[in-house]
Amino acid sequence: MTTQLPPGLQLEKLNERIMTLNVGPQHPGSGHMRLVIKVDGDYIVSCDPDPGYVHRGEEKMAEYRNYIQNIPHLERPVIHDSCNVLYPYCLGVEELLGVEVPERAQYLRVIASELNRCVYIQYWLAIYGIFLGHSTMFMWPAGDRELFIDLLEKMTGARVTHAFFVPGGIRNDVPANFEDMCLKRVNYFEKRIKEYAAIFYDNPILISRTRGAGVLSRDDAIRLGTTGSTLRASGVDFDLRKKEPYDVYSELDVHSNVLKDGDSYARSKIPWLDMLESCNIIRQALQKMPKSGSVRVKLKPNPKGGNDEVYKRVESGRGSLGCYIVSRSKPEPYRVKMSVGSFRNLICMPYLLKGEKLGNMPAVYWSLNYWPVEADR
Amino acid sequence: MGTATGIIKALNSGIKHLAVKRFTLRYPEQKLKFVGDGYQFDPTTGVGIAGYKGRHMLFHDKCTGCQLCAIACEGVAEAIGMVKVQEDWKQNKKGIMPQIDYGKCVFCGLCVDACPFYALYMTNDYELSSFTKEALIYTPAQLQVKPYVQQDAEIVFDARGATHG
Repeated sequence: MTTQLPPGLQLEKLNERIMTLNVGPQHPGSGHMRLVIKVDGDYIVSCDPDPGYVHRGEEKMAEYRNYIQNIPHLERPVIHDSCNVLYPYCLGVEELLGVEVPERAQYLRVIASELNRCVYIQYWLAIYGIFLGHSTMFMWPAGDRELFIDLLEKMTGARVTHAFFVPGGIRNDVPANFEDMCLKRVNYFEKRIKEYAAIFYDNPILISRTRGAGVLSRDDAIRLGTTGSTLRASGVDFDLRKKEPYDVYSELDVHSNVLKDGDSYARSKIPWLDMLESCNIIRQALQKMPKSGSVRVKLKPNPKGGNDEVYKRVESGRGSLGCYIVSRSKPEPYRVKMSVGSFRNLICMPYLLKGEKLGNMPAVYWSLNYWPVEADR
Repeated sequence: MGTATGIIKALNSGIKHLAVKRFTLRYPEQKLKFVGDGYQFDPTTGVGIAGYKGRHMLFHDKCTGCQLCAIACEGVAEAIGMVKVQEDWKQNKKGIMPQIDYGKCVFCGLCVDACPFYALYMTNDYELSSFTKEALIYTPAQLQVKPYVQQDAEIVFDARGATHG
């Protein structure tokens, strides 16, 4: 062809052996993202992840709304992990405004975010089960998730989009019999998720599907900047709840789960171990929590931050989630930038899928704990 | 553990659940019970009262037409508009009250937090579907009505697992 085509419109050269597959962007279960995969027979030669189909401009939207009005839309990237998504924003705004959060509110925030982490991981696990053709593992987590969704509904007033955390504490105090209700459900939940081991994690069929698939070495995990369960499955002990404790995590005994294999099996097991750890944290927090007291600091109606900038990060269900807020003495933030775990874990997809069989793609892809909407923001 | 024992253990774990009661909530025969009468807010302490964030309820005798709820909703959902009402209240000289479009509302409850006169609360009513978009716009007269809800299902735990009562 003689005419020069603009970039992005070049014709692809045909190769007899290599075939290009578009996985997505309508991908059942995962949300909207595309993987451009080149296969040689059954083996993947290269993989090019293409996120951006659900870009919502959350960061730009945050520049036109004041610090309180930002709450409902900033939790939208991951609605079933909405407490953890709002957590760094609230911590950042509190530092900008110089607000000290009451102790009871800090404990309740820890409880809410751990409950929400369990809800998120159960959802993730249900999808992982159905990706691997294990439909029991879809039904069980989707049902058991209801225990905590119902509890969060009683606590915050909404099933998934809670809008519960605000700069200065939490929106409302918990109902009267919350401690008993929570303890009962956490104990039952823990008993229930231990049953998953026999049917899923110790199941030889699952092990043969995932063990050795998409191995990420410790050095590569650090070099590629992965985070969360992907990083901890490769043998790096990095949990922000332990390394940089925020709120009252420093007073709680947090154990971070680390596995050394770095394969899909290890990556899928870490979130399950995290759920067991969350149950421990909730029980500790319920015991140490002050039984009464204020849960919210009364702020001015339209609070203004100084000429300042702040970066806060928390451990979300998908890894470290940072929020960088720049304030220019106005009721609205000048800039809100979110650094999310999903996007950072996506980077290692081309490295993990090279040389894998095409059938292993779902097992590797979803084990990265990736959430498309959060990656696009 | 051998492959055969592993598979037998996995099957056994699933078969045990044939004897366990189903956890499914049979909606709409059963409806989940919530705490209290819905999300409310106490402006003196600045803290909310736990409850479900459902359809709003407006107390006409307390609303002053100050528009703070509409201002709070600006930039969130823009679901609240102030409309003229044909009622005479001495605290509401302008005669305007909020009208809520449930096609836009995200049920965050920030309008309830903004009301300083205890006039706007949320209720346990969440069944708001309709055949037209216009029917989702609730006028002040519709918001005044206390919804009739019959919600009694709760998660109970017994030796055979958890069920919806």
